[in-house]
This record gives sequence, structure tokens and C-alpha cells, in this order.
Amino acid sequence: MTTIFQKKIRVLDLSMGWAGPLAGQMLAEMGAQVIKVEDTHYFDWWRGSLSMAPPEVQPIERAATFNTANRGKLGVTLDLLNPRGIDLVKRIVAHSDILIENYSPGVMERFGLTYEILAPLNPRLIMISMPSFGYGGPETFSRGYGNTVEAMAGITGLARYHDSDQPYTLSNALGDPVGGLTGTFGILAALHERETTGRGQWIELAQVEGVIPLLAGQILEYQLTGKVPAPRGNRHPDFAPHGIFRCAGGEEHAWLALAAHSDDQWRALARALGLERLATDPRFIDLASRKANEDALDAELTRALATVPIDEAVSRLRAAGVDTAPVNSAPAVLGDAQLQDRGYFVPIDRAVVGTHLYPGAVARMSATPAAQEAPAPLLGEHNAEVFRELLGMTEAELAELESAGVIGTAPRDYRKAS
Amino acid sequence: MRYHALNDIKVVDLTHFIAGPYATKLLADYGAKVIKVEPPAGEGGRGPLFAFLNTNKLGVTLDLKHPRGRALIRELLADADLLVENFAPGTLARLGLEPSELLETFPRLSLVSISNFGQDGAESGGMLSDLTLFARGGWTFPIGERDRAPLTPPGSLAQYVGGLYGAVGAMQAIFARDLTTHRGQHVDISLLEATVATMIYETVAFQYNGILRERAGRRFAVGPFLIVTLKCRDGYAGLQCVTDKQFQGLCDLMQRPDLKTDDRFNTALKRMVSNDALLEIVAGFFLEHDRRWLYREGQARAIPLVPVPSVAEVLEWEQTRARDYFETIDDPALGRIRIPGAPLRMHSHRPDATRPAPRLGQHNREVLGALPGVGADGLATLERSGVIAGASA
Repeated sequence: MTTIFQKKIRVLDLSMGWAGPLAGQMLAEMGAQVIKVEDTHYFDWWRGSLSMAPPEVQPIERAATFNTANRGKLGVTLDLLNPRGIDLVKRIVAHSDILIENYSPGVMERFGLTYEILAPLNPRLIMISMPSFGYGGPETFSRGYGNTVEAMAGITGLARYHDSDQPYTLSNALGDPVGGLTGTFGILAALHERETTGRGQWIELAQVEGVIPLLAGQILEYQLTGKVPAPRGNRHPDFAPHGIFRCAGGEEHAWLALAAHSDDQWRALARALGLERLATDPRFIDLASRKANEDALDAELTRALATVPIDEAVSRLRAAGVDTAPVNSAPAVLGDAQLQDRGYFVPIDRAVVGTHLYPGAVARMSATPAAQEAPAPLLGEHNAEVFRELLGMTEAELAELESAGVIGTAPRDYRKAS
Repeated sequence: MRYHALNDIKVVDLTHFIAGPYATKLLADYGAKVIKVEPPAGEGGRGPLFAFLNTNKLGVTLDLKHPRGRALIRELLADADLLVENFAPGTLARLGLEPSELLETFPRLSLVSISNFGQDGAESGGMLSDLTLFARGGWTFPIGERDRAPLTPPGSLAQYVGGLYGAVGAMQAIFARDLTTHRGQHVDISLLEATVATMIYETVAFQYNGILRERAGRRFAVGPFLIVTLKCRDGYAGLQCVTDKQFQGLCDLMQRPDLKTDDRFNTALKRMVSNDALLEIVAGFFLEHDRRWLYREGQARAIPLVPVPSVAEVLEWEQTRARDYFETIDDPALGRIRIPGAPLRMHSHRPDATRPAPRLGQHNREVLGALPGVGADGLATLERSGVIAGASA
């Protein structure tokens, strides 16, 4: 079986962090050739900081985040503050189908790498820019990462316990993966359009505008009721019980999520946990009663579950047809039986760090499986391969670029650079 | 907005709830002809969110449990590129629409199936809700206070993530057919896997360093950064201080240049070790200032620092106003209402205004009436026998 793009589509990935790189990584899974450009001074900040460990430990090659989001890419370095570096970017653009960048507005302008400049070099080029808040509007130049984008979309303000004002940022910087996924969709839409028109285009994704749709329900609710939706915490306005409870076990991580979506499920839940008396308790007899007495209900469940080992609670509740799941930590996710059953995680061997499991392609294609075996590149790992094969450079030219500092494989700490 | 990039793609949309409809909404907003097929009683619930998730789609009704309904869905599939569905695995086959048979009968058609756990595996067909999907997928464990239960994320966020994977997967099937295989295929998307895919900090980082990421209270995590939601004089603000430059900017903002060279904080590694001490200083400063002031002054120093807005404030945010982001539609059920706009701005052409979500059976005549097996006169018969409902006249 073959991949979708069979290396016939080339992507120039100038992005850093997660949102832009995720789009490049997904295109690599589809079989595109993805060339990631970094600067030996300003390498991808998701590689972390040189100060984290001595140089011989190669700290910037040990970032789980970078090594996940850049799998399957070729890695080259170019000094983008040097006109020769910019010239080489343009030469790669001439051979590329897609350019991904997620710099703050103004940076590509300073590099002289705007779509207006690049399109004449390659009218078929599809360029996507992924600024946090968009080109245009008073916040054009405001800075944001995944968590700040998530906040400005309104998500953080809703993430509170039901009895507290303190908002919490989500655990996964949701703005980033949503930006990457939305961007990937946009790239594919433009690529499809190009099949008909023969021409590329510039696509703009203000990352916050990709996240706000995830709160469409709350935005409609506010307009229809005039009330800002109240934070729910672990509760739900239409169901009770609906929460997270600690189970028995030697460790403190045995948390269980459970919900009863009907009176029948509530009775089944109570019986499954040996709580017959609660199933018939008038305080909990129907949804309205359980909502009115939810603190008492949660207290009863907290007391009861504290003595039940989590695995036993899960299997008893599942057998009773109750919606339940363990609150999985990282090792529990890695060990999840259903994920293992479907072979979700894929082992990849990478230089410096060795073999680990990485999240696999989510879209399981019956005829064109994902290309997933290649690791993230070391800094400048594919300089020779890309510049020789794509741009036809000689060994002498490569050596000269390296001695001039335009390319390289050693990180340079910009604070110490002259 | 309605763009035209996908206007040669035809989608038969059998989805309901959020993940499936969001996938087909993205296809429709970018130009695909999406025919949403509802049972004669309408999609279960048909709550306010229907107005957002079904813009730019054509709406028809068909009873797929009725032999005539099954025959007509096949007529719709005859020239379709995609069938998108999020039934429980096995449901399509029970409706006489067995996936492998459909791929055989309609060689250009691809199927996109979105389900809780995927089409196979021991738990395929199992139950999940927002609460248990977030919990199972790893999002919940690291959020909240150490002395309280983990805090579940708000809303149905992971459902939308699944929808995004569905829209991307649909485009992957189109490209695979057009460039490589010249046939359709089956795309299988598990919401659990989609949820886990966006939790790379957890699964990969844990293998690298063996450190179990615990709930860190107001902080995202304890690391060589300060990512935190802090109380201000008039609300909360979010700070994401990651790089050396941002830390130096933060010191300037607080008028504490001494901290730049402070031996506890002058490298990323030290800021991880001394994270509590740094948090205490920054939290004290935020408490004495208004969030708008912090936002303006922080951003002036290139620090990712934002006020934490409510949903109401997002609707009124001058940035979304200036960019005409929210779109006002005249929804048949809700009336004039503002909905989030199309996330990607394509510059090759001008988009049209959004078409509101269809009324029940609104496009029965246009879509079903044009099928060879129906004809304009046949609609009334179909409605009388309960195969369709809604506007047939």
C-alpha cells in the first residue's frame, strides 16, 4: 500500500512550537516531503533551552514536544537574518507546493518573505500564515501561544470548579493542536482548489478564530438567555451524579469519572456499587431531587467509592451500563487497553533519545496508511541532502555556507553570539 | 462565510450531535455540497447548536429504516464523493449500508466514520460523554488543585477536535482517490484517539523523563516557564512566559530589573527549580493591577499576556469586531443571531454569505425531487408513507 502524496507534494515548514509544526507533521504522515527550516541561533523554541543541560547532553535534541511535532520531516538550518539565508528560502519556495509559517505578524515582512514577494517565484504556491489573533485589527501584533489563544477564545474563563472563581488553563494548550488541525484542513482545501484553478494562494488562520467555534454552544446560549454560562466544574446541569471521585488504592491517583444520564442509570449505578439504600433514598429519587441534593449525593459517593479499588469500580459500573472512565494519567493512557487493541501508539527510534511510543495518525485510512516511521530531525540533519538534491549544490558550496554560518548543525546561543 | 474551494465535492451527511456535524460543516463552509439527511422526526435534540453546526448544508429527510428510504439514500450516494457518519459501529450495516459493500458498489465514494472508540477493538461501540472522554483521554488528570479532584475541561471541546480530524480525514480520502488509488476508501476516526493525540505532553514526555505531571493549581505545569492564570484587581489574566526574552520583559513590566540577574531566575532551568518563588512575586504584582492594564503593558513588552474574557466579552472583543469574525445569520429557529465565522480566510476568491441551517426537510424538493426514483410527484407519496417529512410542497 502507498501513501496519499507519495512524496509528490513538497512542504516548506518555517513554523515553530506546535500549531504550524503539527500541520507539517500531518502532511508528512500523508506522504508529503516536508522540509523544516530552523536557524542555528533561533531554533524552534519547542526544542527547549540550551541552559537546561550541558552541551554534551544535547538538551535541545531531548524535547519530547519538538520530537513529536516534527516527525517525518527533513531538517535544514538557514540563518534568516542573513540575506543569503533568505535567498535560499526563496530557492526552496520555487520547488515547493506549500509554505507553513506561524510567526507573529511583521516577522515574515522583515524577512522579505511575504506572499506578494513569493507568489511571482511560484504561482502554484499555497502559503498559510497562522498568527495568534490575525492580520488586521487592533490585536494584530499581540503575542499568544496555545494557552493564551485558548484564554482569548473564552475557554479558560469557563474552566473552573463549580464553587470557585479561579479559572484554570487546560492541560494541553488546546489552541495549538486546534490551530494545527484547522490549518491542515485549510491547506488541503487550497490544494484541492489548485487542482481546478492551477493557482496557489495565501490562507490566513488567526488561531483564536479556529478555537472560538469550539464554544459555539456557549456563545449561542449567552445570546439566547442573556446570561453568561455558569462554570460547571465536574458537574452538569442536566445530570446527577456527574463527577470525579477518588477510589481506593495505594496511590493517590485513583480518580474515577462517572455520570448517570437517566434515573435508570442512577439506580443501576447505585446497585453496582452496593448502595441499594441510595437507589431508593427520596433525596435522590429523580433528577430534580438529585440536583437539589447534589452536595449530599456527592458526599455519599465520595464515601462509598473511597473503599472500592478503581479497577473494580470501573468494571462493576461498566457491567451495569453506566458511563464511567478512570481519570487517566500519562502511563494509564499509554496502557489503555482499547488504544493498545488498535495499535494506536507507534514506536519510533530517534537519535539521542532512542525508541519511544508516539501518538499515531488519527485518521485510519483503509487504503493509504500513514507514513509514521521517520523521527524528528536533528538540528540541520538534512542540510546536505536537501541542498544537494533539491538545489543542486556542490560539496564546496555546502562547506562555504557552513563556514559563513548560513547553515550548521551546532546550536548557537544567541546571547553569546557576536 | 461560504468559500468555494470544495465546490466540486458532494457529501452525504448522516451525522448527528457535534463531532460529525462539525466535520461536515467545515466541508460545507468551504464549498462542498453537503446533503444533511435527517430522520423524519429531525435530528435528536435539534437544539440551538444545530443552527451553528449545519450552516451551508442542504437538509433532507429520509427514514433509513424504511425500504424506500434505503433505496433513496443509495441514489444519493451514486454520485457522492463522501459519506460521513457517526453512528455507533455496526449501525450502517444494520441499515443495509455495509461499508465494504458501499465501497464496492460506488467505487468513487469514501466513507468517513467517527465513533467513540473506533470501528474495532474490544470496546468499539462503548459509551463516552464529555466527562468520560476527557478523563479517559488524559486531559483531565493534570488540571486543578492538588487537594481537590481533577477538574474536567468545559464544554464539548474534544468532540470538535474529533470533527476537525474528520474534516481532514475526508480531504485525505479525496486526495488519495484523485492522486493515488483512483478509488474511495474507509476512514475510521476514534474520538478517544483524537483526544489522546492532542495530549502529547503527557504520553511522550512521560516516557522521556519518567516524571508524572501532577495537577499544578493555577499553573499549567511546573516547568522552565511560568504559564499561569492569576487573579488581578478586577478579574483574572493569563500569562505565558516561556523564553528568556519574555522573562526579561516580565521583569521590566514589574519594574524589577534586579530579577533578570537574580541567581534564582537567570536561566530557564533555574526558573523551573525556583518556580514557586517566581510565581509568588508575579502573583503579588498581578493582584495589584487591572487585567486590561496588564494586557496592554504586557503585550507592549511582547509578553503573551491576556485578560481572561467571558464568552460575552469574546462576542464584544474589538478584535473580532474589527475583523468581522462573528457572522449574523437569520436562523429559521433562533432568528437573528451571531455565530462564529469561518476560521480560515482564503484569499483566492470572495466568499458568499452563510446560508442558515436548513429547516427540517427544507431541500427535499430540490435534492430528493431531482432523483430518478422520485420525481416531483413522488414526494407527496413519500411523505404520506412517512419516508420523508417537512417541506415537500
